[in-house]
Amino acid sequence: MKWVKMLLVSKVGLIGVIIIILFTFTAIFAPLIVPHDPTEVNLGKSSLPPIWLDGGESTYLLGTDNLGRDVFSRIIYGSQISMLVGVCSVLVAGLIGIPVGLISGYYGGLVDSLLMRIVDSQIAIPSILLALVILGFMNPTLLTIIFVIGVSSWIAYARVVRSEVLSLKEREYVKAAKTMGVRHSFIMTRHLLPNVFSSIIVISTINVATSIITESSLSFLGLGPQSISWGSILSEGRDYLATNWWVATFPGIAITVTVLGIILFGDWLRDVLDPRTEV
Amino acid sequence: MLKSIKVFTLIFLVVVLVACNGGQSSTSTSSGSTNEEAGQNSNEVEESNNEEDRTLVIGIPTDIKSFDIHDHNQIITEAVHINIFSYLLKRDKEMEVQPDLVKDYKVIDDEVWEFDLKEGVTFHNGDVLTANDVKFTLERVAKDEALTEHSRLKVIKEVKVLDDHKFQIITDGPQPTLINLLSRIGSGILPQKYIEENGWDHFLSNPIGSGAFKFVEWRRDDRIILEPYENYYGGNIQDVDQVVFRVVPEVMTRINELITGGVDIVTDLTPDDITRIEDAEGVSATSAPSQRVALLGIQHREGYVTSDPKVREAIELAIDNEAITEHVLKGEATPTRTRVTPGNFGSNPDLFNTQLYDIERAKQLLQEAGYPNGVDITLTVPSDRYLKSKEVNETIAAMLKQAGINVNVQFVEYSRFVEMRNTGDFGDLYFAAYGNSLFDGSIALEEFATETGKERAGYENQEIADLWNEAHTNMNTQVRSKQYQKIQEIVAEERPHLYLYLQNEVYGTSDKVNFTPRTDSMIVIEDFIQ
Amino acid sequence: MTYIIRRLFQVIPVLIIVSFLVFLFVYLSGDPVALMLPEDASQAEIENMRKVLGLDKPFIVQYGIFLLNAVNGDFGQSFIYKQEALGIVLERLPATFELMIASIIVSTIIAIPLGVWSAIRRNTFVDLFISSSSILGKAMPNFWLGMMLVLLFSVTLQLLPVSGKGTIYHLILPAITAGTAMAAQLTRMLRSHMIEVLSQDYIRTARSKGLGSFVIIFKHALRNSMLPVITIIALQISTLVGGALITETVFSWPGLGQLIIQAIHARDMAVVQACVLVIAVFVIVVNLLADLLYRVVDPRIKYN
Repeated sequence: MKWVKMLLVSKVGLIGVIIIILFTFTAIFAPLIVPHDPTEVNLGKSSLPPIWLDGGESTYLLGTDNLGRDVFSRIIYGSQISMLVGVCSVLVAGLIGIPVGLISGYYGGLVDSLLMRIVDSQIAIPSILLALVILGFMNPTLLTIIFVIGVSSWIAYARVVRSEVLSLKEREYVKAAKTMGVRHSFIMTRHLLPNVFSSIIVISTINVATSIITESSLSFLGLGPQSISWGSILSEGRDYLATNWWVATFPGIAITVTVLGIILFGDWLRDVLDPRTEV
Repeated sequence: MLKSIKVFTLIFLVVVLVACNGGQSSTSTSSGSTNEEAGQNSNEVEESNNEEDRTLVIGIPTDIKSFDIHDHNQIITEAVHINIFSYLLKRDKEMEVQPDLVKDYKVIDDEVWEFDLKEGVTFHNGDVLTANDVKFTLERVAKDEALTEHSRLKVIKEVKVLDDHKFQIITDGPQPTLINLLSRIGSGILPQKYIEENGWDHFLSNPIGSGAFKFVEWRRDDRIILEPYENYYGGNIQDVDQVVFRVVPEVMTRINELITGGVDIVTDLTPDDITRIEDAEGVSATSAPSQRVALLGIQHREGYVTSDPKVREAIELAIDNEAITEHVLKGEATPTRTRVTPGNFGSNPDLFNTQLYDIERAKQLLQEAGYPNGVDITLTVPSDRYLKSKEVNETIAAMLKQAGINVNVQFVEYSRFVEMRNTGDFGDLYFAAYGNSLFDGSIALEEFATETGKERAGYENQEIADLWNEAHTNMNTQVRSKQYQKIQEIVAEERPHLYLYLQNEVYGTSDKVNFTPRTDSMIVIEDFIQ
Repeated sequence: MTYIIRRLFQVIPVLIIVSFLVFLFVYLSGDPVALMLPEDASQAEIENMRKVLGLDKPFIVQYGIFLLNAVNGDFGQSFIYKQEALGIVLERLPATFELMIASIIVSTIIAIPLGVWSAIRRNTFVDLFISSSSILGKAMPNFWLGMMLVLLFSVTLQLLPVSGKGTIYHLILPAITAGTAMAAQLTRMLRSHMIEVLSQDYIRTARSKGLGSFVIIFKHALRNSMLPVITIIALQISTLVGGALITETVFSWPGLGQLIIQAIHARDMAVVQACVLVIAVFVIVVNLLADLLYRVVDPRIKYN
């Protein structure tokens, strides 16, 4: 109840939550919302403008692309893939980054400096560049895209978790547990992990937003998934930008609004959970 | 260890130095310091639309590979080279082979050809072009295995210099396509003396040829600047002061540049761009058939449903090629059942501009083949390589589905695709679109006569192999042509390849330029500017 | 000084790891041979070319050869350009730097007044507007922003060139495209930092002395905020490079971004390696410089 109240007080957070709920809702119920099959090619209806312009047809709300596919339906379906990519790649990043941060911070010494060299190496390469290089050898499918975005964004977790663990392990109860001979893995998962959880949540929220943008950027560079994602609709539509501007414009707006919602929500979460972290 | 520290310090210094340079050039663009003035001036000329504008700007999708004429297999690269280097023989606008550097030639016997060079041809540095330059050029590519064009030109055994202007080409066995080989990609003649005195590296960054335009500057991934060569043997080009090939990778950007006057001609557009260009003022779209034929490769190995000829026929009957060329490619393609299209030696006119589409018969054939409930097949398509491959193949999949053939279309990256195709690992079908710069049926039909067809699709046919091998060294043009036509009939019947359509190349031009596209996709500036 | 040397030594293993990973990825991605030969070349022709280029050797041998040469400053020959890879990369570097410097300038020009303004007018409509626009700036994919800018300013209004590198006008749209995300970040950061500084004692003292608010803001408060601004720029340099790489594609800007994307598509191992390593070295150097600068300006930080 306290949370709901806090949410209602912060208008910004509320807007963020509403956008995210809408986004999730469309992703889940996509098949029920769409007026057309998003993959249905209808060459007779190609390049129709949005409904409010001359020549627009009533069932094609946002117009059609050059193959006569309904842009609105494609964007609605695209939300599924964008959400999947956003959430799953964050899971991958977390699964790599959190253990690395825990181990590195907890054990210190040689393990720490070795892991941190790897982290340093990756910081030195812009994540989009890393993703490009990796995707060069993997077929860009949904799974590989998720994997690649995850792999190129795990360091944020590793660094934050490590620095928090460094200070946490000086606390009395951790030291006490150590002297009592509690297993290291137990200390890490039961004593340290819960305490870094709020930071992890904050990073994850922002990361979902960046992952959605990264996916669209990769699509733009011709290395996106073959499935219908906002990025791939946008990138297919860009060549027709000046004639059929609606094909590339609306998925761009969809990305921007969704990412905006996630950022707003993330800001609010940070204020509520952990005022210290500035991402 | 000490050495590596030195190296790393060096790298740091270099990076920091270049960083400073970068900073300078960004300020110099505003203040116009001496360093960038030349480049800036050329830009101003190109963008201003007054009468003084005598720069022709051509927007191309990728940068050229290099100025090594023998070490690329890229149309765009050759389209730039052809303006700088002269060929022995060159195709004119109608694709007829005409003497260029040579006055004339004769066939001495099956393996010896004699050529006579024009007099007074000079390279851009003033050196006279002689038979020795020809020997140097052709023997280089015929002997160096590492060069891309080696595989085609290795048929040249020797170039015998008779005097300054007379030479003989001695081929490895009879070579009926020698003239085609000497008038396609990589046929420029190099300056022997210049290269031997200055070295290859110098040549590659300061190339000279004997063509209508001389090299001025190449800014990688940005532009190639050429100027008319005043002593060009074909007559000095008067109407332009400068030709700029600008690299503009995005289609959208190329069109925007054309419409806003940034460039005068753009290449490699898609058929959808035509309406857009026609709608804008002062520019128009134009197109010409290319030599590129799109096709489906079909698996013939046992264990695949496509090993049954009935299924293969059903696939062809289910594809409405006319609908694809009309709607997906907006009329910028012609349905074909052969890869040897008109204009190529040995083409079979019966198989061009026709299709077999009959969906009911396709369903029936599928039933006869024992698949009343339909079949599932896989189609492998290289992504981002061929014109609209995504839309075309999605449409093909939709068409096949109507006949009861469920297609799983898998898009793969090009290198991976080549591997899958070459090892037969592509599933039931693959999509490709092959060009042919030789203007001869031999390349297009080679696959079915050699091990390649077997490697890729498990397809072999002794009759084709015999016909092709005979034709390959047959100096009797009429018989040779018949042999190629026969092969095409067999291919259309057995369907190792199922041909779809011949693509057009779409260009956009400013109304200030009178440009007519060529069917070999070259941009020969002297064709349309005097 | 020993600190700098130690930091430099830490860079070496980093570069080796980077080069190994990149080599591995490019190796796994297959070789350039298929792309170098005619498109219907047979497998025999491909194998032959592979042998000529030394690509038939085992992975570890190839990497060993590469590493040995790299230590001597030789990243090998580009398969496509037939030239020293490092030279090709360094040739493109100035264009990318030009774009990056311009985008840094653009983002600071946007961010400083906006950040200061929203800090002064804290919790007003102006503040809300600036804050929400800056989040919007972060939320937009930059290539999409670039496309929209071209559509508006170049195609529709015909005010600015569509693409290419040349005059200062060619630089405006790419710099805005690449700089917007950074501008958004800086505005947000400046705002919170200014709010903090403005509430500090010495500012209040200055005010009580009767100094004008303009002087206070620009002479005292903003000067104190410049250090975090520089730090943010340095920390974000990697993101900025990434953004520049994509922006280059939108505007056909002849820099590293275009080069590396082509090199990846063409499997041009040497160029990909040289590109990634040069970018990595650059990012490391900038971070190191920022770190040093921070220590010079703020001596309280110890060299540990």
